[in-house]
Amino acid sequence: MAQTRLDRRERINGWLFIAPALVLLGLFMVYPIVWSLWMSFQVGKGMNLSFGGFANIMRLTQDTVFQRALTNTFTFFIVQVPIMIVLALLFAVALNDATLKFRGLFRTAIFLPCVTSLIAYSTVFKSMFASDGVINQALMALHIISGPIAWFGDPFWAKIAIIIAITWRWTGYNMIFYLAALQNIDRSIYEAARIDGVPAWARFRYLTIPMLKPVILFTTVISTIGTLQLFDEVYNFTAGTGGPADSTLTLSLYIYNLTFKFMPSFGYSATVSWVIVLVVAILSFLQFLVARDRRRKP
Amino acid sequence: MNRIITRRGRLLGVALASVSLLSVAAASAGEISVWVWDANFNGNAMREAAAIYTADHPDVTINVDDTASQDDIRAKLQTQLLAGSTDGLPDIVLIQDDIAQKYLQSFPGAFEPLSDKIDMSLFASYKVAAATLDGTSYSVPFDSGVTGLFYRSDYLEAAGFTAADLENITWDKLVEIGTTVKEKTGHLLLDLDLNDTGVLRMMMQSAGEWYFNEDGSLNIVDNAPLKKALETYAKFYQADLVKPVSGWAEYTGAFTSGEVAMVPVGVWITATIKANADQSGLWGVAPIPRLDMEGSVNASNQGGSSWYVLASSDNKEESVDFLKTVWGGDVDFYQKILVNQGAVGSLLSAREGAAYKESDEFFGGAPVWQNFSTWLSQIPSVDYGVFTAEVDAAIQAQLPTIIQGGDIDAALEAINSQSQQQMQ
Repeated sequence: MAQTRLDRRERINGWLFIAPALVLLGLFMVYPIVWSLWMSFQVGKGMNLSFGGFANIMRLTQDTVFQRALTNTFTFFIVQVPIMIVLALLFAVALNDATLKFRGLFRTAIFLPCVTSLIAYSTVFKSMFASDGVINQALMALHIISGPIAWFGDPFWAKIAIIIAITWRWTGYNMIFYLAALQNIDRSIYEAARIDGVPAWARFRYLTIPMLKPVILFTTVISTIGTLQLFDEVYNFTAGTGGPADSTLTLSLYIYNLTFKFMPSFGYSATVSWVIVLVVAILSFLQFLVARDRRRKP
Repeated sequence: MNRIITRRGRLLGVALASVSLLSVAAASAGEISVWVWDANFNGNAMREAAAIYTADHPDVTINVDDTASQDDIRAKLQTQLLAGSTDGLPDIVLIQDDIAQKYLQSFPGAFEPLSDKIDMSLFASYKVAAATLDGTSYSVPFDSGVTGLFYRSDYLEAAGFTAADLENITWDKLVEIGTTVKEKTGHLLLDLDLNDTGVLRMMMQSAGEWYFNEDGSLNIVDNAPLKKALETYAKFYQADLVKPVSGWAEYTGAFTSGEVAMVPVGVWITATIKANADQSGLWGVAPIPRLDMEGSVNASNQGGSSWYVLASSDNKEESVDFLKTVWGGDVDFYQKILVNQGAVGSLLSAREGAAYKESDEFFGGAPVWQNFSTWLSQIPSVDYGVFTAEVDAAIQAQLPTIIQGGDIDAALEAINSQSQQQMQ
């Protein structure tokens, strides 16, 4: 009998300690998730719901708006996440330099966007990107463009404006993770590389990046999840309509419209939510796969 | 020593608790909360009504909340009714007519039936119809969204036109006038928001059609007025007469600042325009242009809303009494809100009042209110159905292509299939 009574008591105590948290988690997280899965099989408008089997999934395949939202969300993901990760990495490496003056100031300046109020920054950006806003005036003054760009009147430029806004906001967040990880890298490795004559870009490519791999993987997964669920910026910039001709309509905004703007279809919005879950799961799995340690056969 | 203090302490605690409980009960009794969205327009109109009612009923307080936009109010209302939680809901809420049926049909029992307490025949029938479900009416009709073409008379004069040149014209003629105005004064004609289909719906209703047929089926592909409306929209953009705006603030800013010359919109914009007192005498109102086709008239409707009482309200009797007394019978009140806010009420007897016959200095001394009353009687009546928001979204998706000269028939097909899909 390896288990003593003390062991068992300690085990029970442990479970009792975490029981309240588990109950709350189950009630407020697991139960709604399971309920939404059940909802995704319901059809009907408003409160008049009835079981519909796979009707919602069939509806997904024929829904042009859903396809547009999916394409937009993927476009944002493919363009914005790599740019942001690379920028954050470059900033982190640049600001990790011990000889740089005012490092604290730069780091604060780049991180500050993450903590600004979402509505405040959306309002300011919206006025900056207006037809007669600051951005257009600056670009025209620098003679980069000859006439004002209708940022939120053109499907292509609206996407660019949103990407710029999101990158501005979240680059600092990722940069902090990289900075923290960089502090843990032993300086002697770089010294050895310098003595061996390895140029700076090669040090970055073959030393820094592989050693930051776990952190890069983490931030990529987090950024993927965040961008695939993009809602706040798109809602605030386009007053909830998803941009000219649905060009900035994302999956989350579509779900919001289905539930709160149109004649409510809860079952169908639950189905679209589960699409997001599946996409995030697949992408995260792929990212883990790409980043796994490969053992070479000796 | 301790025992005495704790006994006194307990007594004090009980006393305080009961006082606070009583005060809470007292506070909720006789306090009516109202949700509106336009501080200048429906906010001020409701405040006027509240002042009149509380003068006679001093134990009632009416709180008018106009901090949220209409979209926010719609979303809040829908969210709370969905969740079944009634805590944050107001006693009276203002809902626009063309989406009222969505709430009435999606949330049965959420609104208090009013047709058994208030005589609905006192109000314009098309307004009552918008809030009626299965023979019961749920609203006290508020304002009519009768439309007019508000224009800057000084710009018009500078371009060599008179007010008579804007009487009973077609939209195509307006494009011509706008081109001249732009040449002579440099001002653009209109400001339009690609995310707002209000002007399109206005054009469509002037020919008596809506997105849906009598039986609720989609009326898009063979909808001649809608096609003409889209073509006209494209003409404005192609003639470069439009200032593109996004959102309410930019939209109102464009004409209140004098950047654009005209705005075709519901009469409720009067409150916003009159808020700039220094522009008095510089504005005029013409009948809304009509589509260049058989069956279209120079009268239409945009918006217009009604007051609903939530069934979850604690102060139902006071709310209904308030609506019945002031909104359902006070003719003088309607004269006041007409001139100050441009609220063309739906109470039929109010139209006989003095203010409706007077001329308005702000609009160059013209008898604008009489004109609006006349146009009101000419508005073609349509059934808004419940899926207007879905079709609006489908049209918005196609607008950028249309205004750049895209094929309208193909766009109509796309709108039809998207709406069809969303209406499942």
